[in-house]
Amino acid sequence: MFVNRLVRVGSVAVASLGVLALSACGSDPEPSGSSSPSTGSSSTGAECPQGTLNAEGSSAQKNAIEEVISKYNESCDKVTVNYNPTGSGAGIKQFNNGQVDFAGSDSALKTEAKDGGESEAAQAAKRCATNPALNLPMVIGPVAIAYNVDGLPKLVLDGATAAQIFQGTVKTWNDPAIAKLNAGVTLPSAPISVFFRSDESGTTENFTKYLKAAGGAAWKGEPAKKWTGTGAGKEKSAGVAEGVKSTKNSITYVEWSYAVDNKLGVAQIDNGSGAPVELTAETAGKALAAAKPAGTGSDLSMKLDYATKEAGAYPIILVTYEIACSKGLPAEKTALVKSFLTYFAGKDGQGALTELNYAPLPEEIRTKVDAAIQTIS
Amino acid sequence: MTAIVENKPAYDGKELDLSGKSGARAFKNVLATVLIVAAFVIALIPLIWILWTVVSKGYHLLLSADWWSQSQRGVTVRREGGGAYHAIMGTLIMALITAVIAVPIAVLGAVYLVEYGKGTKAARAVSFMVDILTGVPSIVAALFIYAVWITIFGFNRVGFAVSLALVLLMLPVVLRSTEEMLKLVPDELREASYALGVPKWKTILKVVVPTAFGGIVTGVMLGLARVMGETAPLLILVGYSKNINLNPFDGFMGALPTMINQDRTELALQPAADRVWSAALTLILLVLALNLLARLVARFSTIKSK
Repeated sequence: MFVNRLVRVGSVAVASLGVLALSACGSDPEPSGSSSPSTGSSSTGAECPQGTLNAEGSSAQKNAIEEVISKYNESCDKVTVNYNPTGSGAGIKQFNNGQVDFAGSDSALKTEAKDGGESEAAQAAKRCATNPALNLPMVIGPVAIAYNVDGLPKLVLDGATAAQIFQGTVKTWNDPAIAKLNAGVTLPSAPISVFFRSDESGTTENFTKYLKAAGGAAWKGEPAKKWTGTGAGKEKSAGVAEGVKSTKNSITYVEWSYAVDNKLGVAQIDNGSGAPVELTAETAGKALAAAKPAGTGSDLSMKLDYATKEAGAYPIILVTYEIACSKGLPAEKTALVKSFLTYFAGKDGQGALTELNYAPLPEEIRTKVDAAIQTIS
Repeated sequence: MTAIVENKPAYDGKELDLSGKSGARAFKNVLATVLIVAAFVIALIPLIWILWTVVSKGYHLLLSADWWSQSQRGVTVRREGGGAYHAIMGTLIMALITAVIAVPIAVLGAVYLVEYGKGTKAARAVSFMVDILTGVPSIVAALFIYAVWITIFGFNRVGFAVSLALVLLMLPVVLRSTEEMLKLVPDELREASYALGVPKWKTILKVVVPTAFGGIVTGVMLGLARVMGETAPLLILVGYSKNINLNPFDGFMGALPTMINQDRTELALQPAADRVWSAALTLILLVLALNLLARLVARFSTIKSK
């Protein structure tokens, strides 16, 4: 009797699970562009391998890489690329532990060891079967100084003033330091509310590097992932953007795309060249073109010049890298990494970024990155 | 109340007026009623609020067949379309593996505790440990499995590792509820069975467990409902994938909690926000369906009194 009942109960359970599972034999959505045929017969060219790539890292490039994956799949639909935006540090750790095939990071692998252990670069080389890992600059994410002040469509700041605002020494919007840069504009007398990233963030690190370089003595802290200035903390880019959106007379630093998505005002930066620089894909790209390579050979890690005085260069930019093995991955993974990164660094891949408010790589750097990817074997 | 009024006690001296409540008692009665109803309403407010928010913001995506049959492959936060099939399947697969491992251990463990080990030191120790395990936060279970699965054995992050962590969370819930259910089975039933010469193992299998079956199933379903919403093991032990992956032993896997987490930071964008709410609603519905199933199973499996 009991066994009968068990069978009955079991069949009910199995049947209902089966209904859930089989009612819809799941599929992938059709690509949005109707140009690519759903059969995919034309898309399995020689340059398109098959398989799954797993990657993890910087959340600053999440939107960029997802867009590129989506575009990449339109031509190579046999490749599955997963990207988990868990943060640069986590990405590097998982890459070095062999958990993912490449990593995304807001900074190049550190070459000096910390706490007597091995440096990130040394660990990465170990993971790549004693071959060095490549730092490939791939996405330029401009950092906007976003503000919310009624009746102020345009705001100009320079390094020193920005540093004073974020340090807390300039406390009101009509402070002479701000007024001097914004002649002919009525600034409110309201106090400035500053929002900062409460989590450790590559954006904070790059922004404080800028404040240190361009702000001079006005910025007292050292560049770090953790905020040392004034203000109220909010979690993640979405948090600070939301904070500024909902608070009048507030200001923050945030990735450009978040400022645009939340329809916030974006300050123009007077970098000392004479004319204030508006944040656009070109002005950000110009700043990267002025950057110097920090590594040698096929290592393309960049040293950014935040205090650049070049006309028309927007100085607050964040370069995110893909970190991949130069050699040493299994052959099929190598083919996948190479194929995807080639597309990412290619004209199509970079072209997809502009509409998402990232800046494409300047042509000169793009060709170098592409050449480095071709050496992966 | 009427009973009291009817049975007027004989009382020497003045006659008591029991036709109505005295002022103080009536007031206390009203006060208590108001307090109880108020507590009930207060408890209900957040529940209804949450349900209303999730349903009103999330229902419209659920109406399309795509939601139940497609993955999020190639769909970015700026684009509409795609579905939650990959996440629903991931959640179901991991929950199923968890149940397959946890339920036999938990039920057999409870049988031992109640039927064989009653009063022994070992049983008391196990009971105590299970109580402690009930209070273990999911992140601790996840990190423990991370240490074993990845640091010691050097395996990759996969769905199966998540299931192992969920087993640690589900096991004490099911074991505890099964234990309570078995304790409720009256000893007379066991004694009657022994009196007829039925061996102990057969008594357990044919009398004790069937009597408690409805309760055991409810416990299993509650345990499942608990682990299906867990996020920490998913974040630590498997990467999120927008693509369909039905193999729990290889590669990243989608799941509803991580699907919510993935787009949580992009709420300024309408397509992403819609998907977050819809995924939340889907998870609630999935748990609801499991609970209904538990009710159904419990009803069909109760022993009918003849």
